[in-house]
Amino acid sequence: MYLGVDIGSSSSKAVILNQDAKKIGEAILNIGTGSNGPQEVIGQALFQAGLQREAIRRTVVTGYGRMTFTSADRQITEISCHAKGVHFVMPNARTVIDIGGQDAKVICLDQSGNVGNFIMNEKCAAGTGRFLEVMARVLNCKLEDLSGLADRGDNGVTISSTCTVFAESEVISQLSMGQRIEDVALGAHCSIAQRIVGLCNRVNIVPEVVITGGVALNRNAVHCISEELKLPISRPDDPQGMGALGAALYALEFDKER
Amino acid sequence: MMETTQELIQELTKIAEAPGAAVLDAIKSTGKKAVGCFPIYAPEELVYAAGMLPVGMWGGNTKGNLAGKYLQIFCCSVMKANTEQALRGDYDGLSAVIITAYCDTLKCLMENWKAALPGMKILPMVYAQNRKTASGRQYMKEEFLRIGKELEKVGGTEITDQALKAALDIYDDYRSVMQKFIVKIRKYPAVFTPRVRHLLIKAAYFMDKKDYTEKIRQILSSLPAPEPLPASRHPIILTGLIGEPVEFLDLLQENDFSVVADDLAQESRQFRTIADRNLPPLDRMVERIALQDGCAFLYDEKKTRGAMLIDMVKQTEAQAVIYCQMKFCDPEEFDYPIVKKELAQAGIPMLYVELEQQMDSMEQLRTRIQTLAEILPTRGR
Repeated sequence: MYLGVDIGSSSSKAVILNQDAKKIGEAILNIGTGSNGPQEVIGQALFQAGLQREAIRRTVVTGYGRMTFTSADRQITEISCHAKGVHFVMPNARTVIDIGGQDAKVICLDQSGNVGNFIMNEKCAAGTGRFLEVMARVLNCKLEDLSGLADRGDNGVTISSTCTVFAESEVISQLSMGQRIEDVALGAHCSIAQRIVGLCNRVNIVPEVVITGGVALNRNAVHCISEELKLPISRPDDPQGMGALGAALYALEFDKER
Repeated sequence: MMETTQELIQELTKIAEAPGAAVLDAIKSTGKKAVGCFPIYAPEELVYAAGMLPVGMWGGNTKGNLAGKYLQIFCCSVMKANTEQALRGDYDGLSAVIITAYCDTLKCLMENWKAALPGMKILPMVYAQNRKTASGRQYMKEEFLRIGKELEKVGGTEITDQALKAALDIYDDYRSVMQKFIVKIRKYPAVFTPRVRHLLIKAAYFMDKKDYTEKIRQILSSLPAPEPLPASRHPIILTGLIGEPVEFLDLLQENDFSVVADDLAQESRQFRTIADRNLPPLDRMVERIALQDGCAFLYDEKKTRGAMLIDMVKQTEAQAVIYCQMKFCDPEEFDYPIVKKELAQAGIPMLYVELEQQMDSMEQLRTRIQTLAEILPTRGR
């Protein structure tokens, strides 16, 4: 059996594959690097697969916390792993937009799923899941409710600040001027879409465009990015698990190479 | 390898890692005055001809809050580090500082330093943008003459034609040896790792050039026959202002990259051009700047940097180019879209990395560099 672990900044994901590359265990926990999340998520995936740890032949770790996870056979970047995972479930994908807790990446794939080019956001929370977390807190709603709140907005309020910290002040200012909370929420989603499309414009975007990462769970954000990009965006059933899936596929490949 | 090679490498890398102590030692042992030389093409030869020691001022991993009084958070980290170091007294041993204006930050910095450091002799200098025209050349000659006169006052020694010619010969000898050095060390990636390569080149800023060149010659002559290159390596080229912090270079090594050539302002741009040695001394200095193309800090009408990098890739069989963008460095940012387009058309992978000399977290950078290694095929040569 083959284990892929994706340790992100705000969540941990694990996927277990059998020798036929069939998924037999999977878990996601919303605690990431620097916590017991990786061990817990592996335990949950093993439990789901009905396996003990000894049954795992190869492990590949990916994600922001990959360097601190020492029990893997190999560590591979989340860029390569997301590309691998997406190509496996959606072979027509040519562009992957991966938006995690603190990083956003745009990855260009060729027909074989190889990474041709990639771009990452700079050291800044704008255009990442962290931005939406901050917005949810300011708007006093749960992160999972933010998308629904924005759906009820009619006219998205313009949030011009690039910086998440300044954007927070801007949102507070808009609310104090009497703007509807739904319109502010919509504005926040439009803002993240603009940052992401700014990133996309730095590489050659080729359809089919696929979105992954935690932000892909926010339907309003995906809709806004699609509108801004003027292209349809597909989403795998498990957008958060693509990195762990890719890591598990690499684990399987390495075992076959040996 | 002979022990002396390692000893020489250690001696030079130590100087580059702790330049302050090295410069103080040089001042003490030679009895010479030292003159600070800001990036990028300060006329070190004039300082040398005036009997003084030119000292490169290329910032460092300096943290503090003194520079914030004069420079905003979005200014180049090299300039912030230089200013911080000056304000805390690290440069008190310098008799003067030449500040060359290539960008908006440097232009303002000249005036800031005059106000902030009244006890320090500041020599502002502006290079001609039209480097190749007759009037541009005449202007540069006059600017070198003016700075020369100022340096004569600082050093108390006249810069004769003979002294300047001797200084230029020493500097051109350094350039010629360094051109050979960077080619030869490609065959020794395990010895000249990205960090060691960088530190060896950087040491030149803090030593007498004649002594430095001799040490490099000794390293070259002491190298044994090269061993076969490891199959896992990725030959690459660095371009940009500087390839620091050194932790960035360590990430390159971790991922089996070897630097086979560079177009860094702090490194090869210092020695890749040599003017005709038969020209009169000042014309020779002017000519070198006129010939120096493909540099973001010198106006390049034909935008030759992309083509130059493509040639470099062909010559060295590098797999990729890393664009080392020092954060907030405008001239380098202006060049990037042009270079990116040209390299993409030539099918050469290029990774853009944003660097600061004072970087604490390397994780994002690690992901970018590791991904580049993952997508390039391994190659042994």
